Formats: sequence, structure tokens, C-alpha cells
Amino acid sequence: MRVVTWILRVASIATFAGMAYLVYSLLDSNDIWHWAAPYDFVVTVFRLLSLLVFFFTSTMISGLAAVLSGTLPNDIIVGLYNVIVLRSWYMQPYGVDGPMTNLAQVWASFQTNLDQVLIALWDNTFLFLYFLFAGIGIALFLQSLFRMDHKFVGGAFISIQLILILAAYRLLTVPNLDPFPTDFFVFLGMNAQLLALVSFAYLEVSYQMIYSYSVGKPIEEREETLKKQLLALRQATRKQDAIERGEKVSTTGMSRTSGLIAFSFLREAIERKVVGTQDALENLDAISDVRRLQIFVDELLQSDPKAKDELTAKAASPSSFYVIGSAISGSAIRFLSVIAIAFILLNPSALMILLNLPQGIEHSIEILQPEIILLFLVPIILAFPFVSMIITWFSRREVEETEELTEEEKEAERQRRKEAARRRKEAAKARKTRAEARKKRKGHEIEVDEWDKALEDSYRR
Amino acid sequence: MITQRGFIVVFAGVLLLTSGFSFVNFYFILMGVYLLIGLVVTLPLFALTANLAGIEVDRQIDKVKVFSGDFLRVRVSIKNISRRHFDFIEVHDLYPETWILAIGENFIASRIEPASSITFSYILQARMRGRYFIGPTEVIMRDRLGLHYYSRTLKAHTEVLVYPTWKDVRRMEALGKQRQLGLMFGAHRTKTVGMGSDFVGFRDYTPGDEFRLIDWKTSAKRGDMVIKQFEMEKNIQVICMVDTSGSMGNGYPENTKLEYAIRAAVLLTHMGLERKDLIGTCVFSDIVHSYVPPGVTPNHMYSVLEALAGAEPRGWSDYETAIEYVVKQTKKRSLIIWLTDLEESPAPLLNAMKALVANGHKAMVISPFGPWFEAPVGQFGPVEKVLSEAVSEELWERRNKIAQALARFSIEVINVGPEDFLPTIIKTYEHAKQKGVAMF
Repeated sequence: MRVVTWILRVASIATFAGMAYLVYSLLDSNDIWHWAAPYDFVVTVFRLLSLLVFFFTSTMISGLAAVLSGTLPNDIIVGLYNVIVLRSWYMQPYGVDGPMTNLAQVWASFQTNLDQVLIALWDNTFLFLYFLFAGIGIALFLQSLFRMDHKFVGGAFISIQLILILAAYRLLTVPNLDPFPTDFFVFLGMNAQLLALVSFAYLEVSYQMIYSYSVGKPIEEREETLKKQLLALRQATRKQDAIERGEKVSTTGMSRTSGLIAFSFLREAIERKVVGTQDALENLDAISDVRRLQIFVDELLQSDPKAKDELTAKAASPSSFYVIGSAISGSAIRFLSVIAIAFILLNPSALMILLNLPQGIEHSIEILQPEIILLFLVPIILAFPFVSMIITWFSRREVEETEELTEEEKEAERQRRKEAARRRKEAAKARKTRAEARKKRKGHEIEVDEWDKALEDSYRR
Repeated sequence: MITQRGFIVVFAGVLLLTSGFSFVNFYFILMGVYLLIGLVVTLPLFALTANLAGIEVDRQIDKVKVFSGDFLRVRVSIKNISRRHFDFIEVHDLYPETWILAIGENFIASRIEPASSITFSYILQARMRGRYFIGPTEVIMRDRLGLHYYSRTLKAHTEVLVYPTWKDVRRMEALGKQRQLGLMFGAHRTKTVGMGSDFVGFRDYTPGDEFRLIDWKTSAKRGDMVIKQFEMEKNIQVICMVDTSGSMGNGYPENTKLEYAIRAAVLLTHMGLERKDLIGTCVFSDIVHSYVPPGVTPNHMYSVLEALAGAEPRGWSDYETAIEYVVKQTKKRSLIIWLTDLEESPAPLLNAMKALVANGHKAMVISPFGPWFEAPVGQFGPVEKVLSEAVSEELWERRNKIAQALARFSIEVINVGPEDFLPTIIKTYEHAKQKGVAMF
């Protein structure tokens, strides 16, 4: 299975590279791939912050000075500007090259500069976001190759598509199929269709890769785990023997990891020994458990030749050829059906053929609008789950679980309940009789019962 | 059913579709349509193939009755009885929460071809006595891309009866072996001079002795009449009354008063069987749950174990009903050992003892003292500490009064904690043997 996973992994890399390259090349005409964009964005953010700090500092100092002196002291502003601002803040980009002596001038300058910075920031943010999403996409893609988790595949796909969505929002030139071609082969050869196909292929191939990994890996891991468990068990038994013989035992880091982390049973047994120092018998139990498990496993492996294969579930490993064959055929079927259905849905001529539309609508601009596809898309998408639901209803009839108790078991259970009820009834009856007898005795007997007297005496003392 | 990754595809599809509508862009619409159609297009095919009724799960275990702490191999076979292949099938075989998975894993994920089967196994350690069920088995079937799934829980359970732990017996045997004294270390058979065939010695004739017992040869040698004495080994009959009322269930799990009482009963039965004594067991609370009459048959131990395995701390202690039942069933003089926490009102207990003594039986009470089985006082805060000490004192005083009342009629009450429960039962048994209490 490892070979199949590697083949699919290579295919996933190829399709992702294809998707990323197509996005890059199709957006390149917009001149957005400025490699300095992330740097410009960071610089602009800092400019905005410096401007805000400058404004708040000068206003605060002036305010404080006005409170203390009663008038607005322009000199303080000049001093502040000369001493702090020019030295600390980079103001040249805003055309400020000399000291400002008037507070009103500071505020006016701030207003103008802030607008400039915000506009620059707005522009730079989008350039930065293209790079950010590209970076996130690549990072998630790389994660998906090793972690084999669908979340990373989905994340990488969405990140790359978000670049296009942002570009569309900024009214840049993005791949489009407008007007939608009526010829199927023209449709197949279009750049936008190619990008859509490669993007879809990336998802398909990556999910197939995860499938191949998930089918093969548990069995491989199972075998590995069993090997570690048996090794750890043997080591633990040997150590106990050595301790009992009075030999000194050294514990290496390796044996600790393989023995404790890989094997929860042994860990628990050892913890019981370590933690339960107050009770020596607990130690004996922990050691005894490990040793008995060793004996049990040894006997099992000797008496049953299939035992090891069953513990590892070796026979459950699926054939690699079948998995790769079915992956190709399954994907091909999905591709063809998806392309065909999408073409029919999006093609306006198909709509006109299928729906007998009035002349007015047929020649209207509405028929060329994207929303028209909802007419068919929604019912078609709902039709598939509906059909599968009907199939499931029929197949569920077979799934109905039946009570698996045999007649004898049911009878035994009934008898057991009956017997318990009878005993309960008898006990209640006996209790009642005893209570009545005691009542009667109390009325007739003059001498006090010896036992009751003993109890009373004991309580009185 | 759509899986989590299926929802990611739905989200991406809807996002792209709405983007396409907003920016009048057919690429986004095409991409959205691809994703949504791609998600649902194989759904009918999957629903058709993923007929979970085509999966049969068979579970096999080596033994249906095990001792607590023993290991058990569970083999699970998954058969595809349909004509279709299942791309991805996950099988989780559930086991009781208190048990420990010792070796292997209890689940498998794989693909299964038509008319083929997958077998996997794992080893469990049975913890805590009782009636347990392995299962149910959860089968989850996914499509290749993991976008949809169906799940089914196969209700087939495999019942396993877990006997009380055998470790006390094992430990006692190990101790016996270590001391090179064999299994009978510390035990002495109760012997009675008189009947029997084992020669003991001679004694002078006293009027009233049977003539057939006079050893004429020795009498001739001594010049005085002597009697030849023989002895016979006697066995005792003990009935262990295990109280399973609700209060007996207090304490740490696996270390409750009831668990200790059960361990004591097992140990007592084992010792008795080793020495050919008759040991019976009665499990009771407000009714008699089970009663195993004293016996020495090979299966006697298993009958006792089965009776004890199913004991659950429930209800209240009706000593009178229990003793009435036992006395009816027992014709011979017996030593009746009560394993009860004495937390019920004393009057019924005293009435029960009265009935017991009146029928010629001997009795003693080995009583686990509640506070000793619960959290150590050191773990409490100051308020809880004071409260617990007050409760303990109250209980202790009450218990002393009951003990005094019972002592008047030669019924001893021994208060025990977790440490001395088992040594006390061994000591009691040895003492009874030595004194020859309740011989038959």
C-alpha cells in the first residue's frame, strides 16, 4: 500500500503545482506579483502606527501644557517635534521636512497624512493577502502530504481559490468563461476550465491519497504496535527476573519509550508497582500480571500458528493493484460525469432546449446571467441525495436488527426473574409473619426475651 | 450521511458559487458546480453498494468464564456476504470499560472484497468480577473519498462471566511452596479419639468400656486390662454468609467491603476443599440470592464462584430471612461465618442469631468496618476530617454494643479492615479446625 500512497502523493504534488502555476500565470497580467508587497505592507502598517502615536503624543502634551499654563504653548510643540518626532518617526514620505510650530498645522497635516496612509494600506493589504493566502496554501499542502488529513487538503484548496476571489473583488482580470461556450470542446480547451479541472483533480487525487493511506496504514501500524508490545513485554519480564536474582538493572531511554509509551498495559502495571509502594502485595500483583501475560502470549503463539497474523490482522491488507486500479477508474468516472453535468448546467443553449421558454426571456439578457444555473443546479443536486435516501430505505429493511436471544435463553431469563420475584415475595411474607408473631408475643408474654434483654443491657451500659 | 470533509467541500462549493454570482464570473460558478456535483454524484452508487446488511461480524472468545485478572483473546471476523466490495470499512469492537486492552487493538480499518473476510484479534484483561458483555460492534462504512458514511451497530454481545479474583489463592499457594511445607502448611486435621481405624495408644480399662475394645494380648502382658484406642479424622462444616446489601458496596472500586468479603469467601472455600471440609456459601441481602450447600464435589468451587461472581451490592440485609433459608437447608451442625458490615438495625440480627443457635449451629461475625475501606482521613480537609471522625466514633460505639450483645451468647465479632480481612478468615478457619467446631 505504501507504493500506491507514494504514487498518489506524487500526483497530488503535480496537481497542486499545476493549480498554483495556473493561478500565478493567469493573474500575472494584473501585475500583482510584486515580490516586495509583503514588505511594503508591513512598512505601511508601521507608518500608520507612527502617525497615530505622533498625533496622540503632540495632542496630549499640548493639552497638558494648556491645562498647566492656561494657553496653547506653541513652543512646546516645536520642541517636542524637533526633539522626539523628527528623531523617532519617519515623516518624510508625508512631505514634512521641517518643524511644525502650530498645533492647528499639526492637526491639518495629520488629517492629510492619515488619508494617504490609509489608502496606501488598503492597496497594500490586498497585495499582501495574495501572498498570505499563497503562503498558507503551500504550508497546508505540505502538511497534507505528511499528516494525511483532509483538513489540510481542503485548506490548501480554499486558500488558493481565495486568491482568485480577492482578485475578482479588486476587479482585476481573473479567469472567466464569459460568454459561456456552446461547443463542448471549446469549453474543454479554455484556460479557466483547465484551472477548474486541475483544481478539482487536486482535491480528488489528494482524497484518494488519504484513502490509500487510511486503508493500508492501520494494518501496518498494528503490526508495528504488536512488535513493540511483545518486545516491551519480554524486556519487562527479563528485568523482573533480573531484579529477583538481585542483579542491577539499567534502564535506557530507548527501553523506556518503547516499553512505556507504546504499551499502556505494561505502563499501568509498572505504575501500580511504583505508585503503590505502601502495599507490597500490589507490587506482587503488578509483576505477576506482566509475567502471566507473557506466559499467555507465549502459549497462544505456540498453540495457534495463526494467532500472530490475527493480532496484526495481516490478511486484512488490501491488494495494491486493486486500489490503484479502482482509484483511476473511480476518478475517471467522477471527472467525466462532473464535467458533463457542469457543461449542461452552465450552457445557455441546453437551457433553451430543455425549457420551453417564452421568446422574451429567451432573448433577454437574464438568460446569460450566472444565477440562471440555479434553475437546474438545485434540483439536480438534491436529486442525488434523494435517490440515495430511497435506496437506503430499501436496504435498511435488511439491516433491521433482531433480538439475538434464543428461545432457551429467553426462557432461562424468564425463569430467573420469576424465581427472584418468588423469593422476594416469600421473604416479605416471612417478615410479615415474624412481625405478627412478635406483636402477639408482646401481648401475652410476661417475661422479657433474653436476647432483647441482652441488647437493652448493652445499650444501657 | 455527509462527513466532516464532505462539509468542507460543501462550504468551498457554496463560497465559490456565491463569489461567481457576486462578481459575475463563470469560473467560480464552474468550480462551485464541480465541487457540489462531485460531492453528490456518487452518492446513489455508494448507497447502493454500501448495504451494511452485507456485513456479518462474528466474535469468538477462548473462554466464557474467566477469573478476574485473567487474559482473554477475542477474535473478530468480518465477513462480506454480499457481492459488492466495500471500499473503506471501520470496525470497532467494544469491550467493558473496566477491562484493560493488554495486547493488540480492538478496531480495524480496511477494504473488504466480496465473499471474503477479515479476522483480527486482541487480548483483554478481565478486571472486576461480574457478568460482562463484549460488544456491540460498530461498523462504519465510508466511500473512497470519505465524503459520505453509513454506520451500523451490530448488537451481538458475547457474555463473559468473570469470577472473583484467584490471586489470593495463588498467593497462599506460593507462600506454602516457598516454605517447603506443601499446601497443608499450618493446617491440622481435627481428630477424634474413639471411632476410627488409626491406632492412637492404650489406656486403662474403666467400667463401662466395651469388651471388644480390650486388647487381651497387652492386658496379659501388663497384668491389667487395657483398652486399645483408635482415632478418626473429622471434618468441619462451615457456611459462609456473604452480605451483599447496598452498604457493602462502599469503598474504593475493587476494594469495597463486598469485594473483600467475596475474596474471603473464595479463600475459605478453597482452603476447605483442600482439607476435605464442607464449605457452603450463601449470598444474601433482602432476599437469598443464591445458596451453595456445603459440599466437596469437584464442581463445588465453580458453583461458589458463580454464585459470588453475580453478587451486586443492592438492597438491605435481612438476616432473619437468610438464616431461615439456610437453617432449612442444613441438617448438620455448622459453623456459620457472617461476612457483614452490621449496618442494619441490631434486632433482626439478634433474632437471626437466636434462630441459628437454637438450631444447634455455631456462629461468628467477621465485620468490615466501613470507614477503614473508604478514603484515608489524611486526604480530607479540616471540616470533613472532623465529620468523618465523629461518624467513625459513632459507628464504632454502635458496633461495640452489638458485639457485647452477641458476646453473651458466645458469638464473636471481629472488626476488620482491608489489610486484615483475609488473614482473619484464614485464622478463623484454622482456629475452627483446631477446636473442632461443628464437626460432622
